[in-house]
Amino acid sequence: MKKTVAVVLVLAAGLALAGPVVAQQDTLEKIKSSGVLTIGTRTGSPPFAYINKNNEWVGFTIDLVEMLVKPSVEKAVGKSIKVEKKESTPPTRIPLLTSNSVDLIAGTMTDTPQRRESVDFSLTFFYTGAQFLVKKGSPIKSINDIGGKRIAAQQGATNAKIIREKYPQAQLREFPDQPAAFQALLQGQVDAYTNDGIQLYGLKAKAPNPNDWDVVGDFYSEEPYGMAMRKGDTKFKAAVDAGLKNGFESGKYFEIYDKWFGPKGELPYPMTPPVKAYLLKQIGK
Amino acid sequence: MAAAPAIVFRDVNKWFGKLHVLRDINLAIGAGEVVVVCGPSGSGKSTLIRCVNGLERVQGGDIAVLGASVTARGVNLPALRTRVGMVFQSFNLFPHMTALQNIMLAPKKVRRLSHAEAEKAARALLARVGLVEKADNYPANLSGGQQQRVAIARALAMQPKIMLFDEPTSALDPEMINEVLDVMTTLAREGMTMMCVTHEMGFARRVAHRVVFMDEGQVIEEATPQAFFAAPKSERGKQFLSKILTH
Amino acid sequence: MSYTFKWSVLWTGESGRWLLQGLLTTLELSALAWLLAVALGIVAGALRTVRFAPLRWAATSYVEFFRNVPLLVWMFFWYFGVPPLLPRAVQDWLFNHGAEFWAGMLALGVYHGARISEVIRSGIQSIPRTQFEASVAMGLTTFQAYRLIILPVALRLIVPPATNESLNLLKNSSVALTISVAELTFQTRQIETYTAKAIEALTAGTVIYLVLCLSIAMIMARVERRYAIPGLIARVGPAA
Repeated sequence: MKKTVAVVLVLAAGLALAGPVVAQQDTLEKIKSSGVLTIGTRTGSPPFAYINKNNEWVGFTIDLVEMLVKPSVEKAVGKSIKVEKKESTPPTRIPLLTSNSVDLIAGTMTDTPQRRESVDFSLTFFYTGAQFLVKKGSPIKSINDIGGKRIAAQQGATNAKIIREKYPQAQLREFPDQPAAFQALLQGQVDAYTNDGIQLYGLKAKAPNPNDWDVVGDFYSEEPYGMAMRKGDTKFKAAVDAGLKNGFESGKYFEIYDKWFGPKGELPYPMTPPVKAYLLKQIGK
Repeated sequence: MAAAPAIVFRDVNKWFGKLHVLRDINLAIGAGEVVVVCGPSGSGKSTLIRCVNGLERVQGGDIAVLGASVTARGVNLPALRTRVGMVFQSFNLFPHMTALQNIMLAPKKVRRLSHAEAEKAARALLARVGLVEKADNYPANLSGGQQQRVAIARALAMQPKIMLFDEPTSALDPEMINEVLDVMTTLAREGMTMMCVTHEMGFARRVAHRVVFMDEGQVIEEATPQAFFAAPKSERGKQFLSKILTH
Repeated sequence: MSYTFKWSVLWTGESGRWLLQGLLTTLELSALAWLLAVALGIVAGALRTVRFAPLRWAATSYVEFFRNVPLLVWMFFWYFGVPPLLPRAVQDWLFNHGAEFWAGMLALGVYHGARISEVIRSGIQSIPRTQFEASVAMGLTTFQAYRLIILPVALRLIVPPATNESLNLLKNSSVALTISVAELTFQTRQIETYTAKAIEALTAGTVIYLVLCLSIAMIMARVERRYAIPGLIARVGPAA
């Protein structure tokens, strides 16, 4: 029996070690030969990436890839390419990338120093921060009021980490996906749900009675969204960044933003001057 | 033979679905009497004996055991069964208990004897069936004949007034049949009331006071063994005997 | 450009403490759910073999209802569906005292109880009916016959499939993370979140589950040997 255990452990370790160390080729070369750019994105994160009522996979991030990144990559490989979409979730997105299943994570992924140890990020394409969604009239007005309260968060989100580390007096409940966390808030299992402000506005808009809910508090985290790529692939990163940069310079980016977040967009979320300044600062403006 | 009847069947009828397995059975077995029930397979003899302790329910008529009805509604069957021991064709010892534990179980759980009392009685019973040295054997480590002797001892442990035997030797190899019949013979000589379904005609001849011959759910004839084996009155009885005695 | 392993994420920072906490929660959740499942399984499994039809129907309804709906749905049922039926004050008290853990425990226990009852029923039905008859013929009541004869033999016969079901229960306890129970899988994801080292975190979780399952399998094999009925179940291995 002991021998069996040892053999199994060695096998398991061997698989873990051997599995992911596939030779990773140059992403641009790969795209050039296949003619396909494969992105990992979300199916339920409107308006960034989601399946709409007509069963089409659309969204702000997907538009950015189609209209800004794709032309730039096409220029780099010298031929026209197709964009293919795969679903990725917070727990699966980095493994999908490192296993070569996708070339680019384009969803709602926050650019953090820890993640930068494993992947490279493009220029920031969206900027938000964590806030709280609460029932109207809740005593929670900002992060300073959460002591002793039951706070739902999405596991894998940076804001859950901040609360655990800096506000241990709150009762944190982490859910693997947003619908379960939101359900917990609707039913009173928790007193507030924290996530990036933009996500909370989206939920509020979808709630049975949107006016019963409030998004409260200042941003207590910085959530710059970036597109993630395999680490060290500088040529590919340059192509992706060039596409985004071009979008900022030509104003195309702001048109796309307006389409989704403008007054008539899927989710009105006007861009504040500090956010616009932050985005433009990336390209030296 | 003059004593009050131990078992009385009165107009007993039973069906399995549409199959009429017992038809108008009227039969009385006296205290201390040994009755052998025989007949071709499917004649209803096993069903008949299983009705005595309520393992089978009847749809018509009445059965009384030691003056108490078995067939009435709301009968306390467990209490009745403590007075009627039963031995099965397939022994049915409990496989997770030793021979001794098999015998001690019911006295402890039903008669509430102490462990020491139950063990003393159980060892005495094992001595009676000649298996003292097998007390700690599990059933799987006993021969068929030994298992059936333990099963008899187990039934006797409740100090029953009546013993039912349902083909107790049919599952045994020929060389083991006699050790079981010897125990049954001794029991009969001691005055136990016994109802035995068996094909052992030698046993019937030597030990039974009466033979009951059944066919197609009916009692065809009742007679002393001497009379039955010498000259059965019924045609079916003759046919049965000619088949069973020629080999 | 290849993935760089950094196994040290598993013992630096708080990873070790998280894994330990997750392991303890998984064990606690699984052990309590297992006790509930075995108790329900024995009762329902036994009732499905009795003559009295209403009891049999009740047990059959329980089994078919609970085992034919996915466990995830039961998790949501106990966590989201049941509390609103209670008074608001009771709900608040529950939510402040680990409602998610108890909801997860009930979901696991009741679901696996239905599955274990099938194992127990098949064990009981593999025992000849005449064993039951021999028991009651001595004057035991039906309840005594089940308690003293039928179940002790059946439980010995079903150790291998019951082991299997117990391992399933342990592994299924990870579904409780969907209702925010911070068990082992939850904690390995946590490590991934903090360190972005998914492979290392998943490997740690895999190895811990593997060791747990192998330990349970070994304990159950020992139980099987210890309670084996001489001659009834052929044992593989050296003779005693």
